[in-house]
Amino acid sequence: MSQPALAESQALYLDPVFVMVLVGILRHQITLLLSGSPKKPTCKAIRETKALQRGVILRTYGNNVPPSAFSSRKTILTQAYERGVYLKNPGQANTPVNPMTDPQGMEMMMEGMKKNMAMIIPQTIIMGWINFFFSGFVLIKLPFPLTVRFKTMLQRGVETPDMDVTWVSSLSWYFLNLFGLRPVYTLLLGEDNSADGMRDMAAMSTMGMTQTGQPQDFNKLFQTEKENLQLTPHEWELDEIENRLLVKYGKRVESIKEVKKEESIKVKKEEGSEKEKESGLEGRGKRRKGQKRD
Amino acid sequence: MSTSTAELYVPDHIVHNTKTITFIRSSMSVIAGSAAGILGLTGYTGFIFYGVVSLFTSFIIWAMKTKGQPGKYFKGKTDVWIDGVFGSLFSYVLFWTLLYGTVHVYD
Repeated sequence: MSQPALAESQALYLDPVFVMVLVGILRHQITLLLSGSPKKPTCKAIRETKALQRGVILRTYGNNVPPSAFSSRKTILTQAYERGVYLKNPGQANTPVNPMTDPQGMEMMMEGMKKNMAMIIPQTIIMGWINFFFSGFVLIKLPFPLTVRFKTMLQRGVETPDMDVTWVSSLSWYFLNLFGLRPVYTLLLGEDNSADGMRDMAAMSTMGMTQTGQPQDFNKLFQTEKENLQLTPHEWELDEIENRLLVKYGKRVESIKEVKKEESIKVKKEEGSEKEKESGLEGRGKRRKGQKRD
Repeated sequence: MSTSTAELYVPDHIVHNTKTITFIRSSMSVIAGSAAGILGLTGYTGFIFYGVVSLFTSFIIWAMKTKGQPGKYFKGKTDVWIDGVFGSLFSYVLFWTLLYGTVHVYD
């Protein structure tokens, strides 16, 4: 194992670290400048999202209200969803919005473009800079050994067959910086910084371009929410509360409660089967309408 | 009866708690990496050192931040022990390499 010749300037490996930290801070500031203050949504847009949230809340916490309250809320919400009362512009509920003509969609696309540029340009420049100035010699020694397989990857451009694999070139050092500098940014700039390129990249790959480019079709979302709401069963939290309380404080044994529960389940099942018999004659679509009425 | 316990958590608070843990973990990984580099650990000893340090950090979080009751602050009870351990491994390796190079290679 021969000792490789080190570069003249001994602290050469510090340069990429400094540059990457500084560029990260610059990126953060540029992103802040470009994005500006967030645009206020219109009153109707807020109403649209809140109406959708109401359905979700009713589905999640519906068991806390009595059956009558639940069913009335369900009826009102499903009707509103069906008719599209809460849509931004109810008239054109079915026409898909073209992002190119819609000014808001256009703005969103521009936003995405700006962010992309702020991410890609510094990354490319740094990588080119490192490739240009730091190629052809090893930069730093890793403190842990790697297998020989990594040699071609970590020592690209350094054609010395019997050098130890722990000596790596600038490009590997760059990638290590790219992955490892996130906590430094967190300490310097706070939690929600936009200095870290890797997180943006991960977000991009999962979201795709549809999220940034196209506005959501709320009519479709309302229809799904309506279906979900209709399928939600209701079981009031206060049903059989007296039994549960007595069991909790040891006044009654568990077995009685279970027997009661089984009885109630049986009763419910019988009711359900009768209902099914009644509605079995009608078609599926008619059955849905019948449910809505009551 | 049918309300699962998960609904009893406030999402904003969960997010805040997770952020706190991430902050603690990333700072600890940077400090541990620097320590490992200055000590001149190599090979497996370095990774074992990281394991020991992260276990110790988890214990400190468990004992001081959640006061021994992680279920009160997080949905999963193992979040305190596992969350972010592998995510901050990269920064540990970075600072380990950096300080190792500074102290032991280029001295």
